Amino acid sequence: MIILAVLLLIGGGVYWLSRRQARRAGEPTILRGGTLPSPLADGASAPLAGMPAPSGGGPGRVVLSGLTKRFGELTAVDGLSFTVEPGRVTGFLGPNGAGKTTTLRMLLGLAQPTAGSATIDGSRYAELDRPIRRVGAVLEGAAAHRGRTGRDHLRVLCRAGGVPLERADEILEMVGLSAAGRRPFKGYSLGMRQRLGIAAALIGNPGVLVLDEPANGLDPEGIRWLRDLVRGLADQGRTVLVSSHLLAQVQALADDVVIIAHGKLVADGTVDSVLDSLARPTRTLVRTPEPDKLTAELGDTALVTPAADGDLYIVGVDAAAIGDAARRAGISLLQLTTERPDLEDVFLELTGQAAIR
Amino acid sequence: MTTLDSPALARDQHTRTNPVWQVQAEIMKIRTTKLWWLLLIGVVVVTAWALLRNGASHHYEMYPPLDQFPADERAQAAAQAVQAKTHAGQAAIAADMMTSGQFFGVLLAMLLGVLTVTNEYAHQTATATFLINPHRGAVIAAKFAAAVAVGALFWAVSTAINLIVTPIYDSSQHISVSVVDWIPVRSTLLNLLAFIMWAILGVGLGSLFRSQVTAVVVAVAVYLGGAAAVLAAFNLIYLAYHHTWVLAAPVIAPAIASLVMITPGRAFDHAPPQWVGLLVMIGYAALLGTVGVVRTRRRDI
Repeated sequence: MIILAVLLLIGGGVYWLSRRQARRAGEPTILRGGTLPSPLADGASAPLAGMPAPSGGGPGRVVLSGLTKRFGELTAVDGLSFTVEPGRVTGFLGPNGAGKTTTLRMLLGLAQPTAGSATIDGSRYAELDRPIRRVGAVLEGAAAHRGRTGRDHLRVLCRAGGVPLERADEILEMVGLSAAGRRPFKGYSLGMRQRLGIAAALIGNPGVLVLDEPANGLDPEGIRWLRDLVRGLADQGRTVLVSSHLLAQVQALADDVVIIAHGKLVADGTVDSVLDSLARPTRTLVRTPEPDKLTAELGDTALVTPAADGDLYIVGVDAAAIGDAARRAGISLLQLTTERPDLEDVFLELTGQAAIR
Repeated sequence: MTTLDSPALARDQHTRTNPVWQVQAEIMKIRTTKLWWLLLIGVVVVTAWALLRNGASHHYEMYPPLDQFPADERAQAAAQAVQAKTHAGQAAIAADMMTSGQFFGVLLAMLLGVLTVTNEYAHQTATATFLINPHRGAVIAAKFAAAVAVGALFWAVSTAINLIVTPIYDSSQHISVSVVDWIPVRSTLLNLLAFIMWAILGVGLGSLFRSQVTAVVVAVAVYLGGAAAVLAAFNLIYLAYHHTWVLAAPVIAPAIASLVMITPGRAFDHAPPQWVGLLVMIGYAALLGTVGVVRTRRRDI
């Protein structure tokens, strides 16, 4: 009876411990110690210190071909094909549930495609030799053991990848977590977790980077640091694929964009070409005390429509032509603003979404 | 930018993945959290408790307070005491003392094996693990290897305590059989086998279930509940089919197989020989390992 009681006690204790741990893993982030310390304040060097030019192993071209994933009746990714080129930052956009994360997981060998293929330099992820030296990834939900320090987390990854353990300290300094690296992961803020994820991705100095919402949880300074880092990495010739819902940032950062909706490709190309593909053309907002006179001076080449507060939207002629016309007619201009459709306009038109995550 | 920016990477000349790295990483994972030493403290506690219990029980066996026994049992107790004091009896006692803490220690080794796999999902580290090493079979194999190391460590700690206490106890009880006599040594080595096999089974069980809670509950149930249930079931079958093999058949339960494996001679009436227990344990480890690898390979992370 005593033996049975002790057995039940041990079993119950372990059950309780494991349940508590599992529950904690899903807890919202605990913010401790205020905001994320500045990477510079923590002794971090410039964004690219510690990141030499990428090591060899091919140019790093990522090719998705007819990639498809079905979960029962649901088709999460539907015949997706696009190419991500080295030396460029490619923004990967789509509304919530469009299949972005599933696509990235298939690319990285974490989920099996139902059909099609995703390759890096012509090889599937699982076929890469030492992927730590070829591809780095930050995925949503990527985490560390709550009780393990950030430094130990990186050292474990170094060990598994055959990289000297000192690399963990180098990379911690680079992302500004040198001090925090000695603390258990459970005390990290969301921003610190993201930095640790980025550190893990950069351990092997890979030529290809796949970042799923890397700016989540970063403060404005952190976002700027990330932007400089990503830009610098691409300028060194790396392939950078970034999924994000922060459209303005993607527009400022990306060279190319891939937009998907309901698992299908809806737009693919350079940022400029995708912007130009939008039905709505560039228009100029004009404020003048003599709108009728300006309209008459511009003639039939310009399409003039009223805007709020007596202003005009003018399409068909550019700001310089409007300025010339105003000068010829002696009309004063109080405002002359060119309004180009931005990525958000394109996104909303192409995906038909009123709001994204 | 030159490679001088990363002295660590400049020293990395490897071109191919070495499977040993993953084993080292798995051991490092265990070493860098509290769980292993909490369980190791558990091993120390259960070993100490078992030494006390075994010591008291064998003392009672060798030196029964005959005047307190009912008259009809007195002769039997005295005969048992005589038997216990023979060379074979003393060797059995020394062997029993040297394997103190086995019952719960093995359970703790198995739980650590389970948690090395389920922690990857509970803490969402499976993603990072499989990104670094996309060969999932190799990752599970590395976890098996790490479990062998953990099983051996737990055994070593338990055995070290037994090795200190048993000679003192033996001397106090006038037991002349040394702890380095073949019989206690054999039991101690079989004890190592039990620790390792159950740690391996733990990894196998852990890789079958994604939920940590389910895996732990099933593992504890297999270890504790399985034996009693299988014994009861085969006893019932024996009532219907009066064949001797039915009485040996409970060895198919891992807990009984383990008991058969570690017990010199026969663990129970009609028990099969020790090697059958060992084969059954290896069979379970191979089966669970194979199923675990196949399931882990197919799983979307």
